[in-house]
Amino acid sequence: MGSSGVAASPARVGGFATLPWRRIILIVLGATIAFIVVVGSYRTLTLPEGERYSGDFWVDQVVNGLGQGAILALIALGYTLVYGILRMINFAHGEVFMAGAFISFFFADAYVKSGFLNSSPYLCLLILFVVSIAGSTLVAVLLERIAYRPLRNAPRLVPLITAIGASLFIQNAFRGFFGPQPFGYPLPTVLEGSVDLVGIPVSKVTILVFVAAIVSMLVLQVFVHRSRTGRSMRAVAEDSEIASLMGINVDRIVVITFVVGGVLAGIAGVLFSLTFQQVQFTMGFKPGIAAFTAAVLGGIGSIGGAALGGFVLGLLQAIGPPLLLTGFNVPSPFSIRDAFVFLVLILVLVFRPGGLLGSGEAEKV
Amino acid sequence: MKRRRWLTVVATVAVLALVASACSNDEGGGGGEGTDTETTEVDEFGTVEVASGEPINLGTLMVISGADAALGQDSQNGAVLAADYLDGTFDGTPGQLLGHDINWVHEDDLCSAEGGQAGGTALAADPSIVAVIGTSCSSSALGIADTILSEKGILLISPSNTNPALTSEEAHQPFYARTAHNDRIQGAVVAEYALNELGATKMATISDESPYTQGLTAAAEVNFEAGDGTVTARERINSEDTDFKPLLRSIAEGDPDVLYAPVFVAACSLIIKQAADIMPDVTIMTSDGCSSSDTLKNTGGAIDGVLVSGPDISVFQEGEFYTNDFLPAYESAFGSEPTSVFHAHSFDATNVVFDAIEQVAVENDDGSLSIPRTALRDAVFATSGYEGLTGIITCTELGDCATDVTIGIFEGPNWPVEGGQGDGKPIFSDTKSLDDVL
Amino acid sequence: MRPAIRIGVVAGIVTIFLAAVGLIGNFTELNLIGELVTFAGLMLVTPPLIAGYVAVAPRVEAGELVEFERGRAAVVGGVAGALAGAVFGAFVIFVDAFGVERIRRVFINISPVLMDYLTAGRPAAVAAVILVVVSAVAAAAGAVYRLLPDAVRKPLGSAVWVTLLFGFLQRIVPIALDQLDIERDWLYSKVTGGLTWVGAIAIAAAAAGVSVLKARKGDAIRGAIAGRGTRDDGRPGFTPLSVVLMLAGLGVVLVAPHVLGSVISEVLGTVMVFALLGLGLNIVVGYAGLLDLGYVFFFTLGAYSLALLTGATLNTFIGSTEPVIAFNLNFYVAIPIVVLIAAFSGVLIGAPVLRLRGDYLALVTLGLGEMIVVLVTSPWLEPLVGGPNGMRDITNAAIGNFGFRDPKHFYYLAFAFVVLALFVSWRLANSRVGRAWTALREDEQVADAMGVSTTAYKLLAFAMGGAIGSVGGALFAVKIGSLTPASFTVLVSIQVLGIVILGGIGSLPGVITGSLVLVGLPGLLREFEEYRLLAYGAALVAVMLLRPQGLVPNVRRSRELKEEDREQDKWASDVAADERVAAPASPLGESAG
Repeated sequence: MGSSGVAASPARVGGFATLPWRRIILIVLGATIAFIVVVGSYRTLTLPEGERYSGDFWVDQVVNGLGQGAILALIALGYTLVYGILRMINFAHGEVFMAGAFISFFFADAYVKSGFLNSSPYLCLLILFVVSIAGSTLVAVLLERIAYRPLRNAPRLVPLITAIGASLFIQNAFRGFFGPQPFGYPLPTVLEGSVDLVGIPVSKVTILVFVAAIVSMLVLQVFVHRSRTGRSMRAVAEDSEIASLMGINVDRIVVITFVVGGVLAGIAGVLFSLTFQQVQFTMGFKPGIAAFTAAVLGGIGSIGGAALGGFVLGLLQAIGPPLLLTGFNVPSPFSIRDAFVFLVLILVLVFRPGGLLGSGEAEKV
Repeated sequence: MKRRRWLTVVATVAVLALVASACSNDEGGGGGEGTDTETTEVDEFGTVEVASGEPINLGTLMVISGADAALGQDSQNGAVLAADYLDGTFDGTPGQLLGHDINWVHEDDLCSAEGGQAGGTALAADPSIVAVIGTSCSSSALGIADTILSEKGILLISPSNTNPALTSEEAHQPFYARTAHNDRIQGAVVAEYALNELGATKMATISDESPYTQGLTAAAEVNFEAGDGTVTARERINSEDTDFKPLLRSIAEGDPDVLYAPVFVAACSLIIKQAADIMPDVTIMTSDGCSSSDTLKNTGGAIDGVLVSGPDISVFQEGEFYTNDFLPAYESAFGSEPTSVFHAHSFDATNVVFDAIEQVAVENDDGSLSIPRTALRDAVFATSGYEGLTGIITCTELGDCATDVTIGIFEGPNWPVEGGQGDGKPIFSDTKSLDDVL
Repeated sequence: MRPAIRIGVVAGIVTIFLAAVGLIGNFTELNLIGELVTFAGLMLVTPPLIAGYVAVAPRVEAGELVEFERGRAAVVGGVAGALAGAVFGAFVIFVDAFGVERIRRVFINISPVLMDYLTAGRPAAVAAVILVVVSAVAAAAGAVYRLLPDAVRKPLGSAVWVTLLFGFLQRIVPIALDQLDIERDWLYSKVTGGLTWVGAIAIAAAAAGVSVLKARKGDAIRGAIAGRGTRDDGRPGFTPLSVVLMLAGLGVVLVAPHVLGSVISEVLGTVMVFALLGLGLNIVVGYAGLLDLGYVFFFTLGAYSLALLTGATLNTFIGSTEPVIAFNLNFYVAIPIVVLIAAFSGVLIGAPVLRLRGDYLALVTLGLGEMIVVLVTSPWLEPLVGGPNGMRDITNAAIGNFGFRDPKHFYYLAFAFVVLALFVSWRLANSRVGRAWTALREDEQVADAMGVSTTAYKLLAFAMGGAIGSVGGALFAVKIGSLTPASFTVLVSIQVLGIVILGGIGSLPGVITGSLVLVGLPGLLREFEEYRLLAYGAALVAVMLLRPQGLVPNVRRSRELKEEDREQDKWASDVAADERVAAPASPLGESAG
C-alpha cells in the first residue's frame, strides 16, 4: 500500500531530471557572474573623477591582500596535507591555529611585561614560534588520536561530524580556560613601522609574514619530496593500502601529517597575531574556513595549489568587493566580503572542482 | 484514491487545530486575573493583590550569563540595592515597602531576542509580578520583552537600553520606560563635537551587526548632516572579523576628517590599531560599547587621541551620596566595585517604581495591598523632577525618563575605565534633552 | 592492571580539565540533592566513576572474553580511581603552592572559590589525600556496578540517573507542580534549591520500581499493548488497549500547555521549532545522506520571507518604516508561498553543487549559511530586511481573534506543523522515493548504475528538506514576533545537525528526542548557558565515537554506520542482486561517490 500512493512521483522526478536543468542553471550562473565581473569592474574603474578609487588605493589593497594571503596559505597547507593523506576535511584545523596563537600570547605578554621582548626581540620571536608550534602540534595530535583515528574506516561524513564537534569543543574549552575577551598581542618595536619597497610602503610585519610563509613552504616542499618520511607520506596519499603492504607504518605517517599541519598552523598563528595584535577564542573559525576555501581554490591535496589559493583568495578579499560591487552602487561593499569568499568557493567547485592547479574535471570518488 | 488519502490527512490536521484552538479559547477566557474581586476600581490589566505578610514580587530581566554578564549583573545589583535602601539605610537588610518585603525574581535576557522572549514569558506568566527592571540589551526588549510584558500590563523599565527605536512614536509599547539615555542624544553630541570642536566637515561611520551600533551611527549621521557635514562612508562590519585594513583603506579614499566606529571591544581595538597605520590624520571616535579596560590594554599607543563618548558618569559619581553611601554599600554587598555604569540607572529605575507603588497602592484593612497595573504605569510615566542618582528624572509619554542627559567625550588614554590615565574627566561634555536633537 | 593505570591517569587529567574550564568552581552552589550532592561534586566524582567502570571492561585472554570477578574488579577500579585522585590531588597541591591568584591571571576559572571548595580550608596535601580516597571509592563503585547482576544493576542505574535528572530540573519541575497545585516543598527544598533527601529517595525508589517492573513484566505489558504478535508486514497491529493508550497520549500532549504553564510551553515551542528543523535536515542528512552544514539558510529564508509576505515593519532609528517590498498576506496564505520559495531555492542552489562529493557539499552548504546571514545584516539589503535592527510586527498567525504568539497557543500551531512534517517524513521514508534515497546514500554508483537518477533525487531531498526547514523558520518568526540577524548564526546549523545526530540519523523519534535533549534541556537549565557549546561539541564527538546510531536509532541506519562492510538495503539488494556493480574498495571507507 505504501508505494501506490506516491507511485507517480519518481516518474515525475525522472521527467524533471531529463531536462538539462543543471546545464541550464550553470550557463545562467556563468553568464551572470561574467556580467557582474565585466560590467562591475568597468563601471567601478570609470566612475567620475573624485568618486573613483585612486591608483594608490589599488596598490595598497594588493599589498594588504598578499599579506593576508600568505597567512591563509600557511593554514591552507594544513588542510591540504590532511586531505591528501586521509581524504578528510579537518574542520577543526582553524582551532589548531587558534591554539598556537593563544598559547604563545601568554608568553609574549609575560615577555613584554618583563621587557625581554624588546631587549632581545629575535630570541623572543623564536621562542614565540616554538611555543606556538608546540601548542598547535599538541592540539593537532590529540585531535587525531581522540577524534579521528578510531573512525579511520568509518563512512567519510562521520569524521567530518566529529571534526565539527571537536572544533566547537576546542573553541569553548579555550574560552573556559582563558575567558571570552580579546587579548592584545604585543609587537616588538623592531617590527613597528614600514619600509619602502620600490616606492610602496610595506609594513615590517607584512614582510616578516611573507618571508616566513615562503620559507616554510619551501622547507615543506623539500621535506615532502626529498626526505624519506616525505616520500612515505606521498606513498600513503597515493594509496594507503599498498603503502602499508610495502612496510610503511600508515598510523605513523598520519600522525606525522598532523604534526606537519600543526607546525604550519603554529607558524601562521604567530604571524597572524603579529599582524593583528589580538587573539580571541573565536579567531580560528573564519580564517579556517577561508583557508579551506583557499586550499580548494588552488586544488586540494596539492601543496603548490594551497599556496597559490591562499594568495589568490587574499587578493580577491581585498580587491574583489570594491572592484565588482562599487560599480553597482552596492553600499558598503566590504560588508559582504564573507559572502564573496563563499561565492568564490562555490564557483570554483562548480566550474573547476579540481581547483586552479587541478585537472579541472569533476572528481567522482 | 491518492487524492482522498491526502484529503484525510488535511482534514485530520484541521480538526486537530480546531480542537486545540477551542480548548485554548476556553482556558484563555476563564483564567487570568478574573478572580480579583476586592479592588475598588476596575483596571484593564487587573490588580495585583499582595496578601498581608506576603512580599511584593518584582522581576529583573538582565543578561547574567555569557560574555556580557558583567553588564547585567551590575544592573541587577543596583536594583537589589534599591530594595536595601527602602528603609533609608544601606545596611544589608532589605527595607519594606508599605509594610511588605520585596521579593526579586531574576531572569536572564541572554542579551538576545530568544533570551528576551524566554525570560519575558517567564515573568509575564507570573501574575504576582508587579514590575520588571530590565532588559539589559535593546535586542531583548525591542518588539519582544516590551511587547510580551505590555500585553500583560506589566511595567518594564530598563536601566541600559539605549536604542532609539524603543521609545519612538511607532514602536513604543505602552508599559515600557527607561532610565538609560536615548542614543539619539549620544549620537547628537558626537556629531556636535565633530562639527564644532573638531571643525570636521566629512565623517565616515562603521557599524556592526548589533542594533546598538546601528542606532548610534544613524543618530550621529543624521545630526552631522543636519549641521552641513558630509558622511563619506557608512560601512558595516562583522564583529568577529579581524582584517579591517582593506575596508579602512577604502574609507581613507573618501578623505574623512572623523571616523566614528561605535563598535564593541574586539573589533574596536583592531580598528583603532589598523586605522593608526592607514589614516593617522583622521580622528577616531567611538562610544561606550568600546569603553573598556580591555581596549586600553589591547591597543597600546594607538589609543592616544582616540575619542570615546559615553554618559558622563562623573556628573553623579562626584555626588556625596554616591561616593559616601552608595559605592561602599555596593562593595560590601557584592564584594567588588561596580563592573559597569548602569547600576545607578538601575537603582533609579527601581526607586521610581517604588515611588509609583506607594502612590497608587491601596492598603486594605486586612493588611493586604492592591496595586492596579494601569494606574502604576501612569504614575511611573507621570514621574517628574525626581532627584535620582543619575540626575533629574522626568518621564516623557514615550517612556524616556532620562530626558536631560550629559554625554562626555573622553580622549585616550584618559578614558573613564580601569587602567585609564589622567583624572578620567571628559574633554568636552554637553547636556541635551530629547527635544534638542533629531 | 596496566590499562587501569592508563585509564586512571586519563580520568585525572579529565578532572583537571573540568576544573580549568570552570565546571567545578562555578557550580559549588548548585545543589542537586540536599546540600551534599552539588553539581561540582558530581563533576569531581564522575571521571573516576567512569574510569572504574571502563577499567573492568571484559578483557580478551587467549582468545576468550574474560569477565573480572567482583572482588578483583573493586581493587582494579580502586587503583584506577586512586590514580585519578592522585593526578588531580597533585594539581591541587601545585595550584596551592604556586598561588591561585597567579595561575588565575591566565586560567580564569582556577579561582579561590574552586580551591576553597576542593580543600575546604584544610592544607592542600590533606585535601589531596581526601581526593585520592574519594576517587578510589567512586571508581571502585563504578567497577562493582558493572559486574552487578542485571536484576540489581538496571534498577540501581535508573534510580541514580532519574534522581539526578530531577535534581537538574529544579527550576522547572516545581513550576509545573505549582501549576498543578501539587504540594512541592517535600520534593524540592526552597533553601537549597535542589531536591530534598526525602524527595530524592522517593524518586529513586519510583525509578527503581519502574525499572524492576519493566524487567519482570515488560514483555507482558508490551504484548498487551501491541496485541498478539505483529502484522504480516512487520508493523505492530492495533489493539483496543493500544488505541486507548494512543488517545490518552494525544490527550496529554493536547492539554500539556495548560497544565504546565507558559514557561514550559515556551520551551516546548522552541523545541518544536527545532524539531521541525531537525525533521527537515533529517531528510537531507538521514534519508539522502547529504551533509548540509548550512541549514540556517532555509531557517533564515523561511523567517524573513514570512515576515516580508505578512507585512512586518522595519525597525529604524526613528521608529519604523515599511520594507521596500511588502505584502500583507494572511499567515496561512503566506506559508505555502514560503515553502515554495524555499523548495525553489533548494533546487536552484542544489543543482550546481549537488554533484560534488559529500564533504565538499558540506563546506559549500556551510558557505551558503554564512552568506545569507551576511546578506541580511548588510546595508545592501537593509531597506528590505532592516539590517541589524531587524523587523517587528510579524503576524501572529491568528485564526479569527485567536493569535498564536502566546506560548500556550503557539504550542498548538507548532504541534500541528510537527505532526504534518512527521507524517510527510514517515511517508517519504517508506515510499519509492525513500528507497531511492537509501540506495543513493548507501552507494551512489550502484544506485546510478541501476537507473536511479541520483541528481534528481538529491535535488528532491534538498528541496524537501529546505521546505520543511523554512516552515521552522516561519514558525520561529511567528513565535518571537521580531527578527534580528543575531538569531540566525552558523550555530543554528550546528545545533540542528546535533539534534539529528544525537537522536539517531534517519530516525524520526530520534529527531524528537534530540530536540528535547539539545534544545529542551538547555532551555530549562539556563545556568549552563556558557557551557552549552562545549557540551555540544563533546556530544557530537562522543556520539560518533561511542554510539554512531544515536539515542533512538533507526534500525536500518544503525547497521550501516556500525559495520565496515555495509549491507545493502533490502530493497536495493533484491532488485540489484544480479546487476550489482562492485563498489571500488576504498581504504578510507568512503560511502559517497
